[in-house]
Amino acid sequence: MGFSLIATASCENQDFSDVTTDATRVEVNTISAEMAKVRDYVPSYAVIAHRGTTYWAPEETEAAWRWAREMGADYLESDLQCSKDGVILANHDENLQRTTNIENVYGELVPTTRKAFYMRHGKTEAEAEALVAADQASFRPYYAMSYMYEELLQLDAGTWFNESNLEQARDAYSTIPQYVSTLEDQIMYAEGKILKRDSEGNRIYSVSGTWDESKPRDCLKYTFEYENDPEDTGNRPGIYIEFKESWLNPSDFEQRVYNKLKDLGWNIITEPCDGVEPYTSDGKVNVGNTNGKVILQTFSLESLRRTADVFQGRIPMCFLLWEGTGATDLKYDTPQGYASFINLGLEYKAHIMGPCIAGSPNNYPEMNAPWQAYLIKKAGMLNHPYSFDSYAQMAKYFGTYNWGNTVAYDELLGGKCGDGLFTNRTEMSLKYMIDNGLRDSRASKTVPDAGETLDRLGY
Amino acid sequence: MKKYIYMSALATMALTTPQTAQAQDFDSKPVVNLTNEAEDLKFSIGARMMMDAAYYHAEYTPMKSGAAITDARIRTSMSYKDWYFYADFDFSEGKFTQKNIFLQYAMKKEKGIHSFKAGYYNNPANMARNTSIGSMHFLTRASSVNALAQGRELGLSYSFYNDHFFANQGVFAENQYNDQEAGYQGVSLGGRWLWRPINDSKQTFHVGASFRYANIATGEVQDDIVLKTNLDLGTSLETLVDPTTEFVSASLPWAKNVYDFGLEALYKNDDFFVRGEYMLKHVTKERDDQALFEANLGSIDSWSTLASWQAGNPLGSNTFHGAYVEAGYKLFGNPYKYNNKEGVLGGLDGKSLEIVARYSYTGLNDIVDGEKYVLGRDQYYPDGLIKDYPSTSKSIGGGNLHSVTLGANYAFNKYVQFMVSYSYHHLDRDKYPSDKNFHALQGRLMFQF
Repeated sequence: MGFSLIATASCENQDFSDVTTDATRVEVNTISAEMAKVRDYVPSYAVIAHRGTTYWAPEETEAAWRWAREMGADYLESDLQCSKDGVILANHDENLQRTTNIENVYGELVPTTRKAFYMRHGKTEAEAEALVAADQASFRPYYAMSYMYEELLQLDAGTWFNESNLEQARDAYSTIPQYVSTLEDQIMYAEGKILKRDSEGNRIYSVSGTWDESKPRDCLKYTFEYENDPEDTGNRPGIYIEFKESWLNPSDFEQRVYNKLKDLGWNIITEPCDGVEPYTSDGKVNVGNTNGKVILQTFSLESLRRTADVFQGRIPMCFLLWEGTGATDLKYDTPQGYASFINLGLEYKAHIMGPCIAGSPNNYPEMNAPWQAYLIKKAGMLNHPYSFDSYAQMAKYFGTYNWGNTVAYDELLGGKCGDGLFTNRTEMSLKYMIDNGLRDSRASKTVPDAGETLDRLGY
Repeated sequence: MKKYIYMSALATMALTTPQTAQAQDFDSKPVVNLTNEAEDLKFSIGARMMMDAAYYHAEYTPMKSGAAITDARIRTSMSYKDWYFYADFDFSEGKFTQKNIFLQYAMKKEKGIHSFKAGYYNNPANMARNTSIGSMHFLTRASSVNALAQGRELGLSYSFYNDHFFANQGVFAENQYNDQEAGYQGVSLGGRWLWRPINDSKQTFHVGASFRYANIATGEVQDDIVLKTNLDLGTSLETLVDPTTEFVSASLPWAKNVYDFGLEALYKNDDFFVRGEYMLKHVTKERDDQALFEANLGSIDSWSTLASWQAGNPLGSNTFHGAYVEAGYKLFGNPYKYNNKEGVLGGLDGKSLEIVARYSYTGLNDIVDGEKYVLGRDQYYPDGLIKDYPSTSKSIGGGNLHSVTLGANYAFNKYVQFMVSYSYHHLDRDKYPSDKNFHALQGRLMFQF
């Protein structure tokens, strides 16, 4: 269609996003006093063990989280999903191809064991066959949501790591079975426990109940067994759990997590701590015994809203940021666009923003530049950027590489673009925090050797 | 054949052009005229230049204050008996731009003058669009006109007018160069009809209505299966120095049928004029849902039914409004003139001084009540609930703009004019929450012959 000169003329050179001036004058809301109290449950410069570690061990497994706990991370981080039969999983990828051997075990079809599973749980053979046929009709291969947890327990979640990370490979990641984890597993590791295994090294569990297709997530009961970890040295980290994309999980998933935390004694809304517990005790991490023991997180706008409805901002919540055109992404990474997501986070009772950082090996978009960190700080929120893999990244975002200069936004930032960090290299992050005086004075002044710790843990 | 050609520096148009000939974008008469009496040919050439300077004060997003050559044109015309050919070309910004080019045939009959016109010129369905920018009495047309009224199109039209009636209607093509990426050209129909109950040498009063229908048929091929049409609307903040349309703009994918309705009125006497228009634009959309649905099949994430696909990808029509009212008072100079043929007010004629004022409202917000806007995604969410997927909003947040302008225009003579104005704009657009108030002080030196 034709238009007039004026209507069609664009001003391509117009700078609509002058971050250097806009960041200081953009309207960003500030956290309420009530929300600030919950924010302050979170320890300063928290070291958050991203998926336990992606560098040293198969992520989000017993091995990864035990290692992170023993290294002294403040939080064990994970991603929550839901199995077909309602078990809350702690597993990153929605598709299990990368981190398990599911292709070899089940292929793209409904597990052949499914019929027997139904029959073990009260169905006749004919009913079981009908259920399997119905499952196949809507089956989404390799997605965790498509499988019963008992089926997921047949998968090997450790060997892939050895094949993909030859330099960090350890036989034990295969010989000591690593499983697709549950939220309950993660909490138990944080409490200093390990899986209870039989003589062949398989985890011990039981599942009971009658299958009811009208309430598939609420008809069976899994009972998992744990025991004290003989290698536990007393660290009690918290957990930092992410609600994945909303379409992967049931619409009441946040409520289910609320209930599970309550059942396990980790819901501070129903079972608050005294509020005086230190984050470190006798040189050991003690976050898991404080009101900051659980931090929630999500990229999902829908989950952000639902989390606010369920948790009411009474547990620390982190709104994660990613730049892009996807359904949950920040599309306009300008000061106004960035501020709008901060405001959205505050509106839906988040206390923390979690921007991605640049740098190898992930080369994520830069969403934690000083002006962005400044806006987060200006809102009174905490900043937990993700994810750190190198010393250079820590030195960049936590001030070392400013070389003592006072730079823009330092009036709020003091050279530090973060109040904590998601890290795959807990050992390096802790060392950085200690060396730069950012670690609690009561915390351990030393960091165990990463490899020796794995040796000690039996890997 | 021997030709007799001579130049007449100030020959009158009455002698050199047909009675009905009128340039679309100039209402002053060109001063350079060539006549070939043997062939009964008249040729004229003229030019126009505008130099603008502007100082803007914006609350948040800066605008580019400065000076610019905003118009530089050469116009030519040739007449032969009842035939008239006109063309003008813009070369401001250092590049050639197609402006008007048309051929006109006129017949004077007992009840009035009939004329037929073919070429590239303004669609008749709007008063301001058919008023030369050099005769506007303002530095630009009102923002509402820029955003909602159609400009030039390639087509044919028929007009009739006498002292009391005016009717101009035509049929036009969608793209004057047929250089669209894909699709056969659409067609538009447009017309403007006026009644002039008062129209004498002292004063004129007209009321009128206009209508335009456009079928959008060109676009781009999406996914190799469907033709995706689009309609872009927008306006600058009534300035040419920084002509950005970023503040007030809307893009309407899948736009198919455009209905423009207009009402207008104009009154003028020797020393005073007031005029205004109301514009409504209704845009319906069309999309090959079946083809797109079928293209989505083939993966685990496919929508499984056409109905579910349509529910997740809703398509709705949009309606926009705009209006302006302008007034001027001449402190001294020749009387205001009314152009019967075009149904518009003329520009200043000779040494004159006037003061003018304008209010314009441009409404490019068509937002469903209760929807929540997230700026970082430039997205509306139905029922106030943020969701990940799908987005089902039909809202368009192109911006509502209120503009008030006060100005003074001084014509040194019939060729040189100086204009100065102050404008205040109030913007309501979710995408630019901090850009509420704009101030612009502008000046123009215009020369045309």
